[in-house]
Amino acid sequence: MKSTKNWDQLHSEKNLLHNLRVREAVIDAIRAHFKSQGFLEVDTPLLVASPGTEVYLEVFETQLCLSNHKPLRGFLTTSPELNMKKLLSGGSGSIFQLCKSFRNGEGLGERHNPEFMILEWYRVNADYTDVMRDCEQMLHAIFAHLSEKKLLSRGSAIDSTGAPLLSFHGKQYDLSMPWERLSIAEAFQKFADISTDDMLNEERIVAIAEKKGYAVSEQTTWEEAFNQILLNEVEPNLGLDRPTILYDYPVSQAALSKRKASDPRFAERFEFYLAGLELGNAFSELTDGIEQEQRMHRDLAERKRLGKVEYALDTDFIDALKKGMPETGGIAVGVDRLVMLFADAPSVHDTLGFPVEDVFAEALSTAADR
Amino acid sequence: MSSIKAGNIRKGMYLLFKNQPHIVTKTDFMSPGKGSAFMRVRLKNVVTGNTQEFTYKSNESVEELEINTKQMQYSYADGAELVFMEPETYEQVSIDRSLIEDKIGLLVPDLIVYVMMYEDKPLGVSFPPKVKLTVTQADEAVAGNTVGKAMKEIEVETGMKLLAPLFVKVGDLISVDTETNQYVSRVNE
Repeated sequence: MKSTKNWDQLHSEKNLLHNLRVREAVIDAIRAHFKSQGFLEVDTPLLVASPGTEVYLEVFETQLCLSNHKPLRGFLTTSPELNMKKLLSGGSGSIFQLCKSFRNGEGLGERHNPEFMILEWYRVNADYTDVMRDCEQMLHAIFAHLSEKKLLSRGSAIDSTGAPLLSFHGKQYDLSMPWERLSIAEAFQKFADISTDDMLNEERIVAIAEKKGYAVSEQTTWEEAFNQILLNEVEPNLGLDRPTILYDYPVSQAALSKRKASDPRFAERFEFYLAGLELGNAFSELTDGIEQEQRMHRDLAERKRLGKVEYALDTDFIDALKKGMPETGGIAVGVDRLVMLFADAPSVHDTLGFPVEDVFAEALSTAADR
Repeated sequence: MSSIKAGNIRKGMYLLFKNQPHIVTKTDFMSPGKGSAFMRVRLKNVVTGNTQEFTYKSNESVEELEINTKQMQYSYADGAELVFMEPETYEQVSIDRSLIEDKIGLLVPDLIVYVMMYEDKPLGVSFPPKVKLTVTQADEAVAGNTVGKAMKEIEVETGMKLLAPLFVKVGDLISVDTETNQYVSRVNE
């Protein structure tokens, strides 16, 4: 257990005050960047009646108590996506939001805090390739703002060719555009020696995983084998010298995105990586209300099977899509990880005044050691 | 040996990985693209000292090693080996320096620690939460750049350098946190 809490270490060797200044500057730069592009900043509720249906995310549940009414179940959002898409369907134009999101049931780690700051933006009349460029430009805008504020980490600089070099954990990363772009199919071939046909086939990828020495049982699913190989063999090779955009995911791995017209086995989704950190997850957003409704019902059924918290579908969201959502490219980015990267901090917990293990320190220490 | 779920792996545990004993030096929860849960673990082979990362499915079974701990006293360094002794039986145990790494600066002679053993082989050392060390070098405090709590670099008897408040001087006994290697307070004895 930590002996000192972050709020009491602002001036210590760890210099957490610096990290809080970086946090402020990163957020300022994000706001200024999207506002200058004509995006509207919005503020959607964190307390909702029906959160997103992602199968593997667990929610925080609470109660809304109103006088003269029986208590209502309420949930903290795992992301602001559904309500932001309602605004898009209502005709908001391009929007962005910076807010807290909440994910329960995750382990403590260097890259996760159950309450975290998320950035989402949605660019209308656009697709995921436009969002790729947005990511590149946003990181440049953050770098420039931190440079101006003299908050760049030691070793970060703009080199003689004008390339922004970011120093993180003792290594320099070149943020120059364009970033590396690699499809999932290419990456599996290149780093794991698995063909696209094998990758997409449940029986074959599970057999390959077993041959590679991973623990496999009769219950091992395609998703587990795919992701375990992705995490062990592909991800460690991404974003090693410069950011990598990993794109076109198998369609089952992209619940809210459009299928690729040229190859419907894949969906228009990407993630971007730098220094082994997964920083954001983007889609060409699914705008078909009927298909979306089917996918969400499937998700809710799967949640029930897995024993996750059950709740009703957000029918307002489906109605919004059916009314008509413009073609949109959108993304969710973990802001705490961006701050960790630009502050050259060891962990996201060093970028927060009050990481969860401080907030719950007393309770955690009495429950320690099993 | 006992089986645990990979989702319950914690830093400091000893696991059997590829038939070799490893200590967990870092854990990270992962759910790729909102997928199912995984546990990325950094493992240090306690025989060879090599480090590697592996990502387990969080529902996968992993063998946790049963480690015996013995209370022992630090004696002296012998090249790459650190020698510990059981005060009552005078039984000695040597541990490779690489297994203690960044904590070597906390080892003062006669310090009581727990030595962790697996099948009669020492794997590492568990320190008390705090150790007392004597300051051997400390410059006079320099006024000036004193935003917040001003700190200066000092050196203690083991040769370890760390930051301490300006009032700390040579000959002081200080308490150091063994988790973070950071200054905690001055000790009066």
